[in-house]
Amino acid sequence: MKLYRDLTIRQKQIAWAWGFLAIPVLFYGVIRFYPTGNAILISFQDWNLLGERTWTGLDNYTKLFSDPIFWKVFKNTFVYLLLGTPVSLVISFVIAYHLDKTRFMHGFLRMLYFLPFMTSAVAMAWVWRWFYQPVPIGLFNNFLASLGIPQINFLNSTTNALPSILAPAVWAGLGFQIIIFMAGLRAIPKSYYEAARIDGVSTWTVLWEITLPLLKPTIVFIVVFSSIGFLRIFDHVFNMTTQNPGGPLNSTKPLVLMIYQTAFSSFDMGYAAAQTVVLFLVLLVVSLLQLRILKDR
Amino acid sequence: MANLVIRDLVKTYDKTEVLHSINLEVEDGEFVVFVGPSGCGKSTTLRLVAGLEEVTSGSIEIAGRVVNNLEPKDRDIAMVFQNYAIYPHMTVRKNIGFGLRSSKAPKAEKEKRIESVAELLGMTEYLDRKPNQLSGGQRQRVAIGRAMVRDPAVFLFDEPLSNLDAQLRTQMRLEIKKLHQRVGSTIVFVTHDQVEAMTMADRIVIMKDGHIQQVGSPSEVYHQPANTFVAQFIGAPSMNMIPGRVEADNRIALSTGGELAFQRPLPQGRPVILGIRPEDLHPGEVNSVIEGAVNVREPLGHETLIYVGTSEGDVIAKADGRTPPGIGEVVKLGAALENMHVFDAESGEALA
Repeated sequence: MKLYRDLTIRQKQIAWAWGFLAIPVLFYGVIRFYPTGNAILISFQDWNLLGERTWTGLDNYTKLFSDPIFWKVFKNTFVYLLLGTPVSLVISFVIAYHLDKTRFMHGFLRMLYFLPFMTSAVAMAWVWRWFYQPVPIGLFNNFLASLGIPQINFLNSTTNALPSILAPAVWAGLGFQIIIFMAGLRAIPKSYYEAARIDGVSTWTVLWEITLPLLKPTIVFIVVFSSIGFLRIFDHVFNMTTQNPGGPLNSTKPLVLMIYQTAFSSFDMGYAAAQTVVLFLVLLVVSLLQLRILKDR
Repeated sequence: MANLVIRDLVKTYDKTEVLHSINLEVEDGEFVVFVGPSGCGKSTTLRLVAGLEEVTSGSIEIAGRVVNNLEPKDRDIAMVFQNYAIYPHMTVRKNIGFGLRSSKAPKAEKEKRIESVAELLGMTEYLDRKPNQLSGGQRQRVAIGRAMVRDPAVFLFDEPLSNLDAQLRTQMRLEIKKLHQRVGSTIVFVTHDQVEAMTMADRIVIMKDGHIQQVGSPSEVYHQPANTFVAQFIGAPSMNMIPGRVEADNRIALSTGGELAFQRPLPQGRPVILGIRPEDLHPGEVNSVIEGAVNVREPLGHETLIYVGTSEGDVIAKADGRTPPGIGEVVKLGAALENMHVFDAESGEALA
């Protein structure tokens, strides 16, 4: 106790701060940083979960970069990102922009939009999977048939499958993005709009020159968050293509699914770890790029 | 430049009437200040004139044209907001130029107008800066500049000085007044600060609970307040109010004791309130009917405010700055009869 009493106020503060930080630091160390470090280590090794770990140097990486499936998967992942992020951004902004102005059943509508975000991705994927079935089971195809429009192969076509899986993923994330956008819209002082009204500029000008620039921090946040989400897409794909995960012909397979299969179907841990490291680097680079591009100069 | 006429203006929100039949004429080039406590309807009136709120009934005319159903942009007005409403992501030039966005004038002419407004406000060197690089007073000037560049018939100011510190407020007050003298446009200015109202206005409109209490020049509202509310709202510290009753021969018997004989005709037998401003009330023997012990002294240098205890609470008076009476000292206070205001105790209206 004497030791503690002799400390200066500043030293006591530091002692308390570290005291409180100890648990989260320990938790993060064990749960996050140790596995991360270990994964990087394993990516340079050969390991089948049971046997010895043996050093292989860069073998896993050279194998990865010469694997055509990896490049296919790499491309798929970016298609999810480049299609999903802008589409979900625009849709959620349009909904938030109009919902913000709606008084009628405002709370109820907001709840409806938020509901998918709270729903289990697995359940949702299976419901959408049912929507996509051919007649007489699938909802969408039944609807098309009743209008006399030919059937669409949603999940069994190499071109349609990826967008078909992306749609529920976008839909599921909307609720969250709408809430964030609405908070951003609320934060803009009303007098900005009133001043613009007195100056007599068009609604379009107000949107492009006042609302959107002032929403920039919100947009940055949503872009980074949803990008990370789409780069890590897994459960929607896995559940909607269970008989042949990532199919047909790897056309919907994202990186995370490939990692999963390499690790837990082929038990090639080293190879899976190398893929994980690549995914990590991709996430890092994309996030840093977005932050840099969208940050205020 | 133009006049503004408000006739029987009523505004209701849901079922609550917040403005009750306001009537006012503002002449061309006049500087009119709306003043009153918060919630009195002064800002609502301004927003109705601006067209940001819809008129429930009555009419608003600007330059002889009823504008009730015109969009704000078509009313030939400009407004300066309390938080300035200047856009943080635009330069000063773009902010000032925003007022011209809807105008059809050629680009070169718009540019010229922005430059000349900036020069008038002394902001030329700041034109390419962003608002976050400006001081509070400079931001205020940008907001005024954006209004000026439109060259409107009527300027509307909604408590534009309340976000500034005291020193800057005094300075901007003077600048706005100077600007008005130079540009000569019609200005409607809303504030809750009676000092701002007194110092800037050609005419003051004092409002309370959605009613106009009095309209008049600063001197009129100070020297001839129409009722007890105006009397107490204008002037600081506010007017002392002492209840009393009119006796025979225009004499008023005060509830604190003592009687005063007035020259003016007063309705006999009526309960009244005698109002005396602290600056008119001094220790001395002239008409000295109020007597009590000094409770508190507030030295201001050139004079000292003394709080004198009476049966109706403390009465504030002004004493000499060098030799004020001491705490606990019993003093007699008096004022010139012409500086005493008599109000009806029930209605609060000024009598004679």
